[in-house]
This record gives sequence, C-alpha cells and structure tokens, in this order.
Amino acid sequence: MNAPTQVQTPANPRYVDRDTLFEVERFLIREARMLDEERFREWWHTQLTDDIHYVMPVREVRMRADKKTIGSNPGAFVFNDNHMMLDMRIRRLETGLVWMEDPQNHIRRFVSNVDAAWADVEGEVDAWSNFIVYRNRRQRDETVVWGTKQCRLRKVDDQWKLARRTVLVDQRVVLDKNLYFFL
Amino acid sequence: MKDVTKLILEDGAVQDRRIYWDQDIYEQELEQIFARAWCFLAHESQIPNPGDFITTRIGEDNVIVARQPNGQIKAFINSCPHRGNVVCHADSGNAKAFTCAYHGWAFGLDGELATVPLEHDAYYNAIERPRYAMHPVSKVDSYKGLVFGTFDAGAPSLRDYLGDMAWYMDSFLDVPGGVELLGPPMKSILNCNWKVPVENFIADGYHVGWAHAAALKAIESPLTPLAGNQAYDVNTGLQVATRGGHGFGVIWEAAAAIHPEGGAYRDWLAQRTPIMRERLGEWRSRFYNGHWDASIFPNCSFLYGTNTWKLWLPAGPHNIEVWTWTLVEKDMPEQLKQMMVATNMMTFGTAGMLETDDGENMEQCTGSNRGWVTRRGKLYSGMGQVREGTHPELPGIIGKGIVCETSNRGFYRRWAELMSGRSWEEIAREPHFAPNRQVA
Repeated sequence: MNAPTQVQTPANPRYVDRDTLFEVERFLIREARMLDEERFREWWHTQLTDDIHYVMPVREVRMRADKKTIGSNPGAFVFNDNHMMLDMRIRRLETGLVWMEDPQNHIRRFVSNVDAAWADVEGEVDAWSNFIVYRNRRQRDETVVWGTKQCRLRKVDDQWKLARRTVLVDQRVVLDKNLYFFL
Repeated sequence: MKDVTKLILEDGAVQDRRIYWDQDIYEQELEQIFARAWCFLAHESQIPNPGDFITTRIGEDNVIVARQPNGQIKAFINSCPHRGNVVCHADSGNAKAFTCAYHGWAFGLDGELATVPLEHDAYYNAIERPRYAMHPVSKVDSYKGLVFGTFDAGAPSLRDYLGDMAWYMDSFLDVPGGVELLGPPMKSILNCNWKVPVENFIADGYHVGWAHAAALKAIESPLTPLAGNQAYDVNTGLQVATRGGHGFGVIWEAAAAIHPEGGAYRDWLAQRTPIMRERLGEWRSRFYNGHWDASIFPNCSFLYGTNTWKLWLPAGPHNIEVWTWTLVEKDMPEQLKQMMVATNMMTFGTAGMLETDDGENMEQCTGSNRGWVTRRGKLYSGMGQVREGTHPELPGIIGKGIVCETSNRGFYRRWAELMSGRSWEEIAREPHFAPNRQVA
C-alpha cells in the first residue's frame, strides 16, 4: 500500500473559515479524549471513514543534500493501516489478554497548533496539528512522544470523519518500547 | 578479568542472574564477545553502488560500512582519530568522502585520511597520514549477501564462524536471485539486557501461546489455536542448536501462517519449493516452508516466514536499541514484497501486535535483577534437556518440538566459552557438549 511519508503545507493554502476551523479543532480534541478514555471501538465505528489510511513512516536521518525521500523502496512504516488492520489492532486490545495493558496504562494526548485548509477534493479538509503524548505505566515507567500529524477530514452525513492521517514522530530512535497506541 | 566459570552451569541450562545486570560483566562482554565475534553489519542490497554507506554499531563501537569503488565492502570506526569526534551522522547515503565537522579532516571511502586543513601551514607537512586512518574493522565478509564484520584479526573465517547455521540458513538464502533486506530500519529502545531478546528469538517457542495469546486471537491464522496453549503437538516442529551459539526453532509448514493475507505468499512458496528441493534436498525444502525463530550469535535475530530481521544493539547492561528490517526474496513481485513489509510491521514492528507483548516482558526480566538478593539467584532454561540429541541427517543438537530450550542452552555455552577469554583455537580444540542420544 503506497503511503505518504511527508507532512506539507501546500503553496497557496485555502484556509478554512472560522466555523469550520472550530469544527476541525473540536473533532481532533474530542477524538483525543475518546482515545484517552480507551473508547477504541467507538472511535473505529464513528470517527473513521471506511477507506481510512493511517500512516506513520519511519524517518531516516540523512544529510540535507541527500534528496532520497524517506520511506522509499517500498518503505518502512510503523503504521500503514487500512480499516481492517485498525480493527485487528483493536480486537487484540479487546481480548483482555494483553498483559502489558493490565493493570491499565495511562495515556494523555495533547493536541495543539491546529490549522486547516480546504483540500483539492470538494468538501474535504486538510488539518495540521502537533501532539504530545504522555504515557505512564506500572509504578514509574513514563515516556513522552512528540510529533506532528496531517489529517484529511471528510464530511459524511454531516459529520467530520478521518479519511487519512500521516503521523510523524520526532524521534529517529523511538525512545519507548513500542508505539502501540493511536495518535 | 572476572572469573566467569560459575555463571553458566549444567550445560547452559542455568544462568547466574548477574549476567543480565552487572556492569563489569557487561564490559567483559564488549571485550570478549563484541570485539571478537563476527557481528551483523548490513545486507549488500542496502549499499549496492560505490560510495553507498550505512552507519551501525558493533557492540558500542560506531561503525561506517561503505561500498568501495572496486565493489568491495569496508568498515571502520566512525570516530575521527584526531580528537575523537563522530564523523558521519547520517543513517545512510552516498558519499565521496567523510568529513569531520570539528576541524575538517576528511577520510576516503576506505577510511584513509585524505585531506587535512592547514596541513602545510600548521603541521608543516609532518603528519603521517596513514597512522591516522579511521580504525578499520579487521575483517569484513559476506555470506550470501549478509555482511558481517569482526575486530579480531585472529577470528575464524565467517563461513567457519557460522558453521552449521549457514547450512540451515541456505534453506532461504539460496533461493534463485537471493534475498534482500528492506528498510530503512525501524529503531526503538528497550530497557533490557541484550541477551534477553536474543534468547527469546533463538529458543522461546514456549512464550508464544501465552505472551502472544491476544495477538494470536486477533490475527486469525493457522496459529490461532496456539493461543493460551490450547493446542500443542511436539511433532509440529523442532529446535536446533548449532556449535557456535547460533540456533533456531521451526514450525513445519508455517512460513506464511501469521500473514493476515498470506495467499500470495503461500502460492510463491509452492511455486519455489520444487526448485529448492532440487537444489538443497528434502530436508531443507521443508525448512524453506517452515516458520523459524532464530538468532545468529551474538546479537542478530530473525523470524523467517514473518520475515522480520532484528539487530539488538547493546547500550549498557540494561538498555538496547532494536533495529528492524524486512527480509524478502529479491525475485518476489513488488506487491508481494509490500505485503511482506506490511505483515512485518503489523506483527514485529515498533507498533507490532506481537512485538509489543515481548518488550514489556524483556524489560521486566532485566529490571528485577536490580535487587541485590534477587540477582544472586539463578535462572533456568532446562526444558527438553532430557530428550535432546544428535540426528542422523541434521547437524547440530536437535531438541524435540518448538516448545523447547535446546538452542538457548547452545547460546549460553558459546557465551561462556568466549567470556572465558580463551583463544578461538583453544575453544575449537576443547571437547564440546554432545548428548549421547539420538533424536529421530
């Protein structure tokens, strides 16, 4: 599955109006709370389009002069998921057999720097935001993940849904034992 | 040097917990294991053209691996011999030279000192350039595309070092067209000792049904019945410990088992199997179709079938970096390669459904040894010891079934041999473990 590996602001962005920006912001913030509260199945049912493409490329450290794009041939991705694969990840959590998640871990998502512009496709929006995710497990196992994401939102039945997400984590070496959570 | 003779007992079945925690033992590992053994560096496919390079580590030594204009591969320590600065900060790329950011010393693709700023005006041309090449990795060689290096000029040849493991790995390395590693590698950290994931991959069929129960249930596959150990048949696989500390377990007919959409891969295997049988015989065509969990001594592991390729890079006694590539056959169609990549990242990538189960256990297995009393205890991997033996047709020591710890014991026997500081020749001369039993 070919996947985007970059997050980019287009040359002449058509920024959305205030009401739309407000809706986009609410979407991202409510989604973050839904995930913090471990409502994964609800998230899968209500927040995603059926053709969702959820991507987190592996970012290589390269010299500026070296123009080879990251994630090429055919690339490496921490996530390169469609609707079915996201469902499988959630089913794993729903088995109740994930020993690492029991006792419960605490994950807190912070969303900031939200901006949005109309996409090339009528009625779709590209939204940019930065994130910090704080994770705390067991007694004192804590990690923080920082990054940015670009989201394609589409209105379905008068409700915004996530159709595509490219997540860039700003760590070449992920300073955590895994990234098994949704951003 | 620390006396290590009591750290591994009972033919590798009992380990002193201090080997997962103590700083002085770790330092001895860097000296006696990582500075002597052949360590995995790269696959040739990652650096196909002159000037192509990657950066990696042997133990904690930073290393540049570069393709030379004549096609050879050389490796040298990524540290400037002038004042010690790291010279190359990129993961990979193509270069004509490596230039230090501190004073501008520049080194050729072979690591030789090529340019020194103000050589005439400040050194008065008195610098002996050959003395200040980047420190070379003594021997670099490749086996069917897999490139290894050792700092020990007296180490046996790579082929001898791999020994019988090479014979087994030919089962998938010897495919027409060969194999390649697809990257760039995912990288993450684990707060665990480097040996813990090595033993997990080399021998631990035991944890699969328990630690991975959730993932096995979520990924509907032929392996799903293993979840919760509800079904286990000793005849569905075996385990192999080869002399030299390498080893693996295999589940027959299971190469494609964990792939959620494995149809295309099964077709591929079916199409290639007659060729492999013709080339390598019946046994190895069976290995070609099996699913392997394996480690190459000291710190390279892989799962053939799921096709994850791992390097566990030590960073102190309680921390490692985990690097993950995807292993594929070069001749596979592009779409099949992409499917292999997708399954690898879905299962054993940084957010992999099975990887995630393992990381937590590996950290906790290490961290508990923080306790002074705890670490004076021993750990036990004696499973299957009373049934393992030699085999009339297969090299190495064979353990029955995938749930077995035969290859773990082989790994620790080798660990103890090298840690003793004895020379390669002395080790080779000594009688080595050979159970007086045949396994059918």
